[in-house]
Amino acid sequence: MKTTILLCIMISLVYTSMIMAGDQGFVRDGTKRSITLPALVVSLKEGAGMDTTSRYCRICHSLDYITTQQKFPKAKWQAVVTKMVKTYGAPISEENAKIIADYISTYYGIGG
Amino acid sequence: MEFKGVSRRNFIKTLGITTALAATGTIPPVLYASERRLVTYPEKTELLLLTSSPPQLETPLKYFRELITPNEALFVRWHLSNIPTSVDLDTWRLVIHGNVEKPISLSFDDLKKFEKISYTAVIQCAGNGRSFFEPPLFGGQWLNGAMGNVTWGGVRLKDVLKSAGIKTGSIEVVFKGLDKAALSATPGFLKSLQLDKALEDDIIIAYEMNGQELPMLNGFPVRLVVPGWYATYWVKSLSDIEVTVKSSESFWMKTAYRIPDDPCGCVEPGTAPKKTVPITRMTTRSLLINPEDGSRIKFGQPIELMGVAFSGGYSIKEVLVSVDGGMDWRPARLGIDIGRYSWIQWFYPWQPTKPGTYQVMVRATNSIGESQPLDGLWNPSGYLLNKIERHNLIVT
Ligand code: HEC
Repeated sequence: MKTTILLCIMISLVYTSMIMAGDQGFVRDGTKRSITLPALVVSLKEGAGMDTTSRYCRICHSLDYITTQQKFPKAKWQAVVTKMVKTYGAPISEENAKIIADYISTYYGIGG
Repeated sequence: MEFKGVSRRNFIKTLGITTALAATGTIPPVLYASERRLVTYPEKTELLLLTSSPPQLETPLKYFRELITPNEALFVRWHLSNIPTSVDLDTWRLVIHGNVEKPISLSFDDLKKFEKISYTAVIQCAGNGRSFFEPPLFGGQWLNGAMGNVTWGGVRLKDVLKSAGIKTGSIEVVFKGLDKAALSATPGFLKSLQLDKALEDDIIIAYEMNGQELPMLNGFPVRLVVPGWYATYWVKSLSDIEVTVKSSESFWMKTAYRIPDDPCGCVEPGTAPKKTVPITRMTTRSLLINPEDGSRIKFGQPIELMGVAFSGGYSIKEVLVSVDGGMDWRPARLGIDIGRYSWIQWFYPWQPTKPGTYQVMVRATNSIGESQPLDGLWNPSGYLLNKIERHNLIVT
């Protein structure tokens, strides 16, 4: 009897430590594994078109897809915005696409 | 390069300045390709942040001083933002269907009943090193950290396919994972292999990395391992395998992950290729890992340069080192060879004869004579990078 209780305590200790061993944001619960992704927020530089860019360009991915690119001229950014619409199905009107390409090339690219 | 005030040479040096970022935090609006922050994601150690969602994280070079890359340090690269964040092995199934005798649905335990094999293989993103291309390119601005050397354990894809019975007329095998796009208009991440490739002995469905279960971010519970080929085929959180009679129309095969149809996989910088083919096998590479580029070394002390070398499935035959910017080349000593898919470590004892800045270059050649170009070969997607790297070591 005593040994059973002791064993139970030991098992639960091992079990708890297994859960603890998973670092921040990871939970192992029997056959189930879950993670919680960190809530990182990418902010954009203030400027005309920032709101539009921020609204549409983070529907499918974080805005660091924009901020980590190298510096490109406007024509290249226009092509990227077109690719997002045509290839990946971004719901962006032509008017907004223009605002976005202007904003990104001004603040993250090589001018207008 | 067009960074304001950041030249090509300074580019690498700027990387020395990385700031740790808390798990929840705001990424500042100015974040050029030259800056990287360290972040901690679940089951991962501090890695260099490329994008936060879908996560793209790269391994700091210091981890490559070891032959085997620890699970928590292996890079992370997803394409679509709805990545699997929860998997219950009780209900998880791997489905094999399409042009087969009998479609099957395997539990995790069913899968483990097939013969287990394991080997060490380099995993490398097709775009590893993209940030070093000139002229620069769109896409993930990876440094050299989108790679690692891992011991994979799993079952042969061939055995699993055969248990479903491949019917005649089959030509391809299509792989799909649990990841999904944010919008249904975005093409799902489907990859395919020609049937004869898929039946090769060494391709496995891996359920172990270095003897442990896969981290969620590296594809728990199983991922495809296609040793020698770029990681774009190593579908994570694999859940669906379809044997088909037609070649795949997937965007990720037909449009993305393609290289110029030319032996070098290259075109004149800035030009478009006439014809392209899917990227497959890795090019031969060698890297200086320690001391890192830009390091200061005390004059008068002998040191040992070390690094890694690998190629797309053929053993490394020779690694040459130059400490004078490519004039004189001498062979490095190679570490233990643990198989043709693994990387091999190289070591080069060195005692500088006088203080100054030394340009160190390394060049590997594999067993079929493939080596590395002196100047970068260019392609419009920034794949296959394997130019001989130049590193400065400052002896004072
Ligand atoms: C409908 C979904 C969607 C929207 C909306 C969207 N993107 Fe994308 N974007 C994608 C996908 C999918 C990728 C490829 C992701 C990968 O491979 O990591 C991508 C990749 C990128 C890349 C990397 C280069 C490339 O071609 O892969 C850039 C830059 C980018 N997006 C910019 C933008 C900008 C700017 C906007 C706003 C106009 C935007 N995205 C809106 C889906 C979207």
